Amino acid sequence: MSKEFSQLPLQRKVSITLLLTITAFTLISYAILSGVITPAFENLELSAAKTDLVRAERAIDAELENLAAVTADWAPWDDIYEYVSGRSPGFEKSNLVRPTLANLGLDMMAVYTQDSELMWSQLLIEAEEHDIAELGILGPANAAFRLLAQHAGESDKTLGIVRTSLGPMLISSQPILRSDYTGPIAGAVVMAQFMNNAHLARLRERTEVDIEWFYVDETGRHGPQIDPNLIRENGIKIDASESAISSYTVLGDIFGNPVLVLGADTPRDITSLGEQTVTAAMLFLLSAGVLSAIVMWILLRKTILTPIESLTDHMNAIRKSGDLSANLNLDTGDEVGSLAAQFDKLTSEVHDARKALLAQSFKAGKADTAAEVLHNIRNAMTPMINGIDRLKKAFKATDGLRIGEATKQLMDPKCEPEKAAKFAQYINASFEHIKSVNADASEDMNIVMSQSRQIKAILTDQEKFANVAPIAEDIVIDEVVGEAAHVIPKEAKSSISIDLDDDLNRYRVLAHRTGLLQILGNLILNAYESIERGQQSDGRISLSAIDTVIDDQAMVRLTVRDNGSGFSEDVCNRIFRRGFTSKREGDTSGLGLHWCANAVSSMGGRISAESPGAGQGAEFHVLLPAAQGG
Amino acid sequence: MNTQHGEECIRVLIADDDEHILDAYREAFSEPGSTREVKALDALAAELFDAEEEIVQEPHFEVVACSQGDDAISLAEKASNDGDPFDVVILDVRMPPGIDGVEAGSQIRKLDPNVEIVFVTGFSDVPLEELQRRVPPPMKLHYFSKPLSFIQLAQDVASMVKAH
Repeated sequence: MSKEFSQLPLQRKVSITLLLTITAFTLISYAILSGVITPAFENLELSAAKTDLVRAERAIDAELENLAAVTADWAPWDDIYEYVSGRSPGFEKSNLVRPTLANLGLDMMAVYTQDSELMWSQLLIEAEEHDIAELGILGPANAAFRLLAQHAGESDKTLGIVRTSLGPMLISSQPILRSDYTGPIAGAVVMAQFMNNAHLARLRERTEVDIEWFYVDETGRHGPQIDPNLIRENGIKIDASESAISSYTVLGDIFGNPVLVLGADTPRDITSLGEQTVTAAMLFLLSAGVLSAIVMWILLRKTILTPIESLTDHMNAIRKSGDLSANLNLDTGDEVGSLAAQFDKLTSEVHDARKALLAQSFKAGKADTAAEVLHNIRNAMTPMINGIDRLKKAFKATDGLRIGEATKQLMDPKCEPEKAAKFAQYINASFEHIKSVNADASEDMNIVMSQSRQIKAILTDQEKFANVAPIAEDIVIDEVVGEAAHVIPKEAKSSISIDLDDDLNRYRVLAHRTGLLQILGNLILNAYESIERGQQSDGRISLSAIDTVIDDQAMVRLTVRDNGSGFSEDVCNRIFRRGFTSKREGDTSGLGLHWCANAVSSMGGRISAESPGAGQGAEFHVLLPAAQGG
Repeated sequence: MNTQHGEECIRVLIADDDEHILDAYREAFSEPGSTREVKALDALAAELFDAEEEIVQEPHFEVVACSQGDDAISLAEKASNDGDPFDVVILDVRMPPGIDGVEAGSQIRKLDPNVEIVFVTGFSDVPLEELQRRVPPPMKLHYFSKPLSFIQLAQDVASMVKAH
């Protein structure tokens, strides 16, 4: 997998990496949002539900405290004290009237003597008076009765919920004392409110909590919605549905027995809001992630991927074509641009080095070959010179022979026989010496001939090597012309203008670089010398190129033009022949036009010359095969 | 210089990797084959024509030849140790595959400060200044370029030995 991935193109790798990053980012975001944020919202909602229940409880407590306060207004009061003591019969008429309950917001009020005898009571049910006996709690046999109608001390008060036959009631009972809170206790004042729907509506309105309650009857049963198992630990239970969280608690009566299930419904607005928030956050993060990935991909593609792709394509193209002269010119101004510029510089340097190496190796090869040939020729010439030296010495030795004189003496009749014999011996010895010299000379001549043949063989071999064609290169004309123009002496450059066409960099030929350099150098030098001979004050040499087609082959025609001494038609016909020169004796230098003609021919080209006549300048044309794409 | 049969004998060590060149050296440094007959003819001419006999004193060479620089050093060292050093050492500059003549000359010079060292080469790739630096002193260093007449070289060798 990783191997396959590593072999993918860079752009695809980056795309896949970005896609995987976005996917991972989305999954992690979702996990965080659903694992941390959503539970936090749910906890917040549960907390709100509990708070609502507490508020409902506190509202009931506040109702009880209010009821206790109203009771406290009546119980420690001298007037009612005197009334229950039987000393103020007018009190009932002036104070215990029907509007009293309505004014105090009560449903029931009762006044007892210290002996628990009911002195006065009133029960209102839907504005109708009823006997408080209907409540079933204030009879002497009832447990609540004793708590409500009897108080053991001045501070003994009863406050809470009681179960009645008509439903649960908030009830408050305090001992009747004098206005200065002194006793003895004369009786008890009992006040109560039904916990009915009207009461519930008031609480809902005041608390802004959806309060509900269910009466727990004496058998423990209560509203059908509540699971009996929920009425357990700490009196609080949470029941969550999709739309709301219901929290419940159990309220006890004044005896501590369960009497009411108090509930508060809290709509699941927070969770709903949380879900919307999480969804919005997810959409935002996903959009931000996708947008970031797109922006990053575009940025990466523009600044890194595309430039690197171009660099890679460029390198592959160089590897395939071997053309080191091509430049990428990736001017991005950043590190990738710098890398591309360094690569361009490197290939350019390698290109130059390769050209120099080719030229150098060619020259070095020629130099080595020439040195070897010279060595062999010199070695072969040494025995030849020795032989000639011996011949010279031997023939010189015969110069002193006086054969003619000896013959003359021998032929003289006066010559004594003894002397004549010595002359004959001298003549004979002289001829023997000549014969010996001739024999040695013949041997030495053989050596000379043999060494001559050896030198000829060496030269023949060299000719074979010399005919090995150098490697043709793709050459831009502009590259060699500038260098070739250096052949003109520096001191002459002020008096001679060299005009090189601006478009020479458009023309490319297939040729041997060093050879072409020497050909152009030779033609430019010839032009310069022609101007010198013509004594032109405003010497001009121009070099131009054009494309042409010769025998269906694309060629480039290079023209070197001067305004020098020119030449006649006769000279024109002989100018490329071996040994021909139009220069003054001693002026000849460098390679001749004959060599140029041979070199151009070996490159598959042609050379020609033309002149309007002596003193009218000249043109030399060099035709060379055009390089592909040139 | 030794004397042999009453004549001066010049001891020459020659090193060249070309066997034909060595043959040419040997021939040029050997005694002329017809000396006796020519001398008899000269004596007869002097007697018959009342001329003075031309007495030519030819130098006599003892040539030891080898084809490698290392061999030349060994031979020079042995000769020096034997108390019979060479008068002249003639060296080719290039003698592949072994060390070149300049290195051989430098070593021989350390063995024998008096020997005349002659370089003969077909190449001119070692500048004379370098030769003089590596094989001092200049007075005992000689340089000849091929092609040359070894007969003439033999006479030059005889002259340089006589001069010292």
